[in-house]
Amino acid sequence: MNTPAPPVLTVSGLEKHFVLHNVDGRRVEALRGVDLVVRAGEHVALAGSSGAGKSSLLKCIHRTYIPSAGSVILRRSDGTEVELLDLPDHEMAALRGRELGYVSQFLRAQPRRTPLEIVVRAAVQRGMDKAIADEVAADALTRLRLDRGLWDVHASVLSGGERQRVNLAAGTVSPPRLLLLDEPVSALDPANRDAALELIAGLTSGGVAVLSVFHDLDAMERLATRVVVMADGRVVGEGAPSVVLPDLEVAR
Amino acid sequence: MTAEWVLSVRGLGKVFGPVSDEVIAGTGPEHGSAKYGPTGSVVAAWGVNLDVAAGEALGVIGESGSGKSTVMRCVVGDLEPTVGSVVLRRSDGSTVDIAALDPAARRALRIHDMAIVHQNPVDGLDLRITAGGNVADRLTAAGWRSFGEIRTRAAELLDRTEVPLVRMDDLVRDFSGGMRQRVQLAKALANNPSLVLLDEPTTGLDASVAAGVLDLIRSLLDDLGIAAIVVSHDFSVIEMLTTRCVVMHHGRVVESGLTDQLFEDPHHPYSQRLVSAARA
Amino acid sequence: MSVSAILPDARPANVMDDGATREIRRAVLTAIAVPGYQVPFGSREMPVARGWGSGGLQITLAMAGPDDVVKVIDQGDDEGVNAVNLRRLIVAATGADETTVPAEATIIQTRHRIPEDPMHNGQVLVLQVPEPEPLRGVERDTRELERMHAEADYARLWVSLYEDRVRNGVITQTTGYPCMVGGRDGGRYVISTTPIPRWDVPRLHRSAFLSLFGAGRAKRIYAVPPDTDVEPLTFTDVPFEVETTPGAACERCGSSESYLVSIPASDAAGPAVERWVCSDTDWCRRRSESQP
Repeated sequence: MNTPAPPVLTVSGLEKHFVLHNVDGRRVEALRGVDLVVRAGEHVALAGSSGAGKSSLLKCIHRTYIPSAGSVILRRSDGTEVELLDLPDHEMAALRGRELGYVSQFLRAQPRRTPLEIVVRAAVQRGMDKAIADEVAADALTRLRLDRGLWDVHASVLSGGERQRVNLAAGTVSPPRLLLLDEPVSALDPANRDAALELIAGLTSGGVAVLSVFHDLDAMERLATRVVVMADGRVVGEGAPSVVLPDLEVAR
Repeated sequence: MTAEWVLSVRGLGKVFGPVSDEVIAGTGPEHGSAKYGPTGSVVAAWGVNLDVAAGEALGVIGESGSGKSTVMRCVVGDLEPTVGSVVLRRSDGSTVDIAALDPAARRALRIHDMAIVHQNPVDGLDLRITAGGNVADRLTAAGWRSFGEIRTRAAELLDRTEVPLVRMDDLVRDFSGGMRQRVQLAKALANNPSLVLLDEPTTGLDASVAAGVLDLIRSLLDDLGIAAIVVSHDFSVIEMLTTRCVVMHHGRVVESGLTDQLFEDPHHPYSQRLVSAARA
Repeated sequence: MSVSAILPDARPANVMDDGATREIRRAVLTAIAVPGYQVPFGSREMPVARGWGSGGLQITLAMAGPDDVVKVIDQGDDEGVNAVNLRRLIVAATGADETTVPAEATIIQTRHRIPEDPMHNGQVLVLQVPEPEPLRGVERDTRELERMHAEADYARLWVSLYEDRVRNGVITQTTGYPCMVGGRDGGRYVISTTPIPRWDVPRLHRSAFLSLFGAGRAKRIYAVPPDTDVEPLTFTDVPFEVETTPGAACERCGSSESYLVSIPASDAAGPAVERWVCSDTDWCRRRSESQP
């Protein structure tokens, strides 16, 4: 990128601690002041050992966790910026999906819907026309190699890997400006995983800002434009994958 | 962004017995009780604020005695609040304070603008009449006078709530628990209400039956875009159906938030206890 | 010899005191002023058992005087034991004259029927009502019943009509068919048209005469004034129908256009053929006599 695009996400001084009232009021630190910027078209992969705070960071941005201090500013598609930490719950709920997506390892329980319905519905929720959504959803499921025979069965009968692909398709059709990916391919076999990574790679080239957590370095290498290394709730390093990842490999 | 609230509850309080500053200050979660010893007053609910927008489901979670039923009864108009307002926005855009209505106006509101699905089907259905007749009850109350149109609409509603049409003319008395709840849902939706209250809609059903009814409710809420309040002591019900919720304890709202946040990052000691109990 | 003949006073037999008379007249006036509304009154002990016409009797006794002519029918029959007894009592107590011909009567007290002859303006039909509450079948709680009438909440009555039609294919309710007094749009109260059959219900609609319903046991009086709409509760797509038996005719006068009742087959051996006669015996007699 020659001229850096304006940041879609600006995280500064983000802290998160938990107070466990029922365990003697114990305080658990998860994030100790994180600064981070993700621009349009960037794929920032979070690296670091388990417990470093990667998932906590994604959840704080998504407001699944309430940050204890700091700031999370999202630039919306209309160009305006909004402080997510101050946003009333109902506005945050409305923002989710449309401007800010979160794809976890798991498909949220909606067992009565078919895979196609789930994906179409997600696209329509983000403002896409129903007719176009049908096409786009079919395309996403095809690209993720979900057997066509499974498109119209209840999602409850799907295997873990199949559900994960449905979840990924739903999270990425008509993608929001900022996509948070938390181990979205963890349950996939190599061939399907490959297809999924290709789909995710396509998002960035379409201008979506991605912040991800993958447990394998290979995925990061393929997808990330930048890697941010976390340890003990802090950012301890960052750089191009080609620079950062070999060090991590050694550390491992 | 200004949300169009369908229901807005402000400063709602209901006290049984004498009320004073001491009574309010001397009750609540930090005192471990909704009852004020010196006067015997029970502060069933105090300082409750709730908002629900169209297409949104709000959860109210708490144990029995937490005040969630009191709040619901005030919303429905069965109980007159001691203080506060309960404002409903009708489909024509007009607003009305339920707490200030006379009983007839309240009843009319419950025919046209809001509906309740009770935990116990006996509270919401007449078991001595047919499934279609129970739905017809709402339609005739709203002025439907064509037998054919009533039949068609009742069939459509029962079909939507997955009651087999061959059972439309069977007495509800002969229906299973899950099927009775489906009839209640059909009846509740009969007049396209702006707000539906679901009071422990699956409590008392077998787990597999409850799952089916929850699925149905979820898809109805998704498809119809009505505002809903889901009252439950069961976190899994709240998680499945709602995007936001409040936690009540000893007559007060101790915490409110996005449902996934309340489940993953509860702050109040009581919420944390509830969540860890639900996960156990 | 009638009692009135040996007593000089115009109101000879002291069946009802002046206080009761005044109270019932007030109740009747209220009932006329609020058509269809069930006016409570202090039902008195009558020389007939409650449930045997004591409500109708009290209305007639409170209204009738020596200038009146009274006809009393039971199941359309002037000569039924109950009709005869009530007529004797009314005549004795009020000094009124008696008749069987509807056109001659100023007051017609009835159980079960409205005479086949058209009644005219100025006449009063007094009905002996066993159960005045049209909502009794759907609700038993008195306070809830009051609320339903107060708010004109008749949804459950409609549901019972729906259920009747669903379960039986037709509306099976015979006597006491619920009607909105004042019409579908202008109406306020639903009444039970007990004890008359559906056949007679259309005669209440915009009638020339005044109808007073008296329920002794339930202590209620309600009224349908002349020229008042009385609309049976019917679905817009299911027309109100009166009872008919195709092919049936009165075996005395040959009528097939009056309300017929079946009579028990005679004990003589032979094919069991259903036999019919007019319920209105006076009408039937006059019709027979006028035929060659």
